[in-house]
Amino acid sequence: MKVYMRPIESIAWFTQDGIPHPLRYRIQTEDQTYKTVKISRIISRVEEKIAGNRMLIFRCEGEINGLLKIFELKYELSTCKWYLYKI
Amino acid sequence: MDVNSAYLSWEAAYRLQQGASLDLRTVPSAVGGNPETRRGIILAKSIPAKKYKIQTGETLFSAKQKCPDLIIVSPNYDLYRQCSEYLKRILTAYSPLIQQFSVDEFFLDFSGMEKLWGDPLSTAYQLKETIKEELGFTVNIGISSNKLLAKMGSELEKPDKVHTLFPEEIPTKMWPLPVEELFGVGRATSQKLRDRGIKTIGDLAQEDPTYLKRFLKSYGILLWNYANGRDNSPIIENKAIPIKGLGNSTTIPFDVDDRRTAQLVLLSLAETVGMRLRRNGFCAGLVSVSIKTSDFLYFSHQKKLYLPVDCTSAIHATACALLDELWHGQPLRHMGLRVSDLCASDFFQPSFFEQSLEKQKRIDKAIDSIRLKYGAGAVFRSAFLHSGLKPLSGGVIEFEEYPMMTSIL
Repeated sequence: MKVYMRPIESIAWFTQDGIPHPLRYRIQTEDQTYKTVKISRIISRVEEKIAGNRMLIFRCEGEINGLLKIFELKYELSTCKWYLYKI
Repeated sequence: MDVNSAYLSWEAAYRLQQGASLDLRTVPSAVGGNPETRRGIILAKSIPAKKYKIQTGETLFSAKQKCPDLIIVSPNYDLYRQCSEYLKRILTAYSPLIQQFSVDEFFLDFSGMEKLWGDPLSTAYQLKETIKEELGFTVNIGISSNKLLAKMGSELEKPDKVHTLFPEEIPTKMWPLPVEELFGVGRATSQKLRDRGIKTIGDLAQEDPTYLKRFLKSYGILLWNYANGRDNSPIIENKAIPIKGLGNSTTIPFDVDDRRTAQLVLLSLAETVGMRLRRNGFCAGLVSVSIKTSDFLYFSHQKKLYLPVDCTSAIHATACALLDELWHGQPLRHMGLRVSDLCASDFFQPSFFEQSLEKQKRIDKAIDSIRLKYGAGAVFRSAFLHSGLKPLSGGVIEFEEYPMMTSIL
């Protein structure tokens, strides 16, 4: 997997305890079109506090261009932004 | 405990988290101000940059000359505050008594905690690893029987190390170091000591204290005790540190050569100083103004007040009077305003002969609460419109809990 760290648009649902579960995300490709990826499974969720900045890292599985791929999403708590971290 | 090149490590860790491919700590790099606003000095540097003999406090220009490939990044004080807050949060698990000594230095009282955590040395290693793993930066930990030795121990060999410096280790670990390494020996003192042939901490420790007292006064005795590893200052929680005075200063992006602009700069400083004074519930009995000219000459002047004040306008008025006495129109690059001789603002001796400030106090209170609620820029004086100056200036971190730098253990 390569570090990508690109901002994405995403849809997630939150549990009563405030834990987000991403459902799908949308990323702008080089030719200015949007590509939507549905997350079929969340493999793991870890919290990191590097430099005191809280982020949740989701290791997910989903279908991209007909292939089942594993990728990581990051959610930054202080800004509520989603990133495609690694793919 | 001391964070290794704090600002830079924090910046590097944050950038890595944000997906940067380069770790600033592994290349010659530095955190520096903005040369365009003339705040162009090195604030922190990486260990590879140290090899180029780049020093904290030197100008970006001279640092670039020493190492043309030096990467310079701008400071981000909010991030640094956040890092230091999280660091403190981790530390509170290890001891109930913690003193934050500066933004990146902490004292932790481990007395009695060995029952819970076990041997201090192994706990220190565990703590260091926890911080590295969770927060992504490295620290140095010094262990000893008092604050001075612990601090000296944390500075022995960097980065990412744990050192002990117990009294019996002083002759081997501390005495061979150059005298400048001792806490409390700065540029001026080191010159005085070197002139008299005192080159290492060991030389100082073995010197006759009465001889030191002759040219360093009582400070000589203190340093002599430090050199021998003697210090009995208690670990105090930060709330307990009594504030003796407070002040702000600013380096102005351009040279100030007219009276009106100089007064405006003082007003912007008075705003911050006044706000801090009121927030802490003090009135000041002394106002002092300092200036640095474009030739880096430094002057200062102070005045005692008959009536202690906490009003922005009253502080500003006194500051302007002081400036008029002090300044002869040389171009100024840096101005500072400081107040001292503090007393509680709710109980003091009023004066018949001074103007009542009741109305002023009310408006200050109103403005403070607006600023607290809607941000510091929500309301400001119209004098600053189109002036090119910030309505509030001075200070980098907006909270008062610990001093940025101090000489008091």
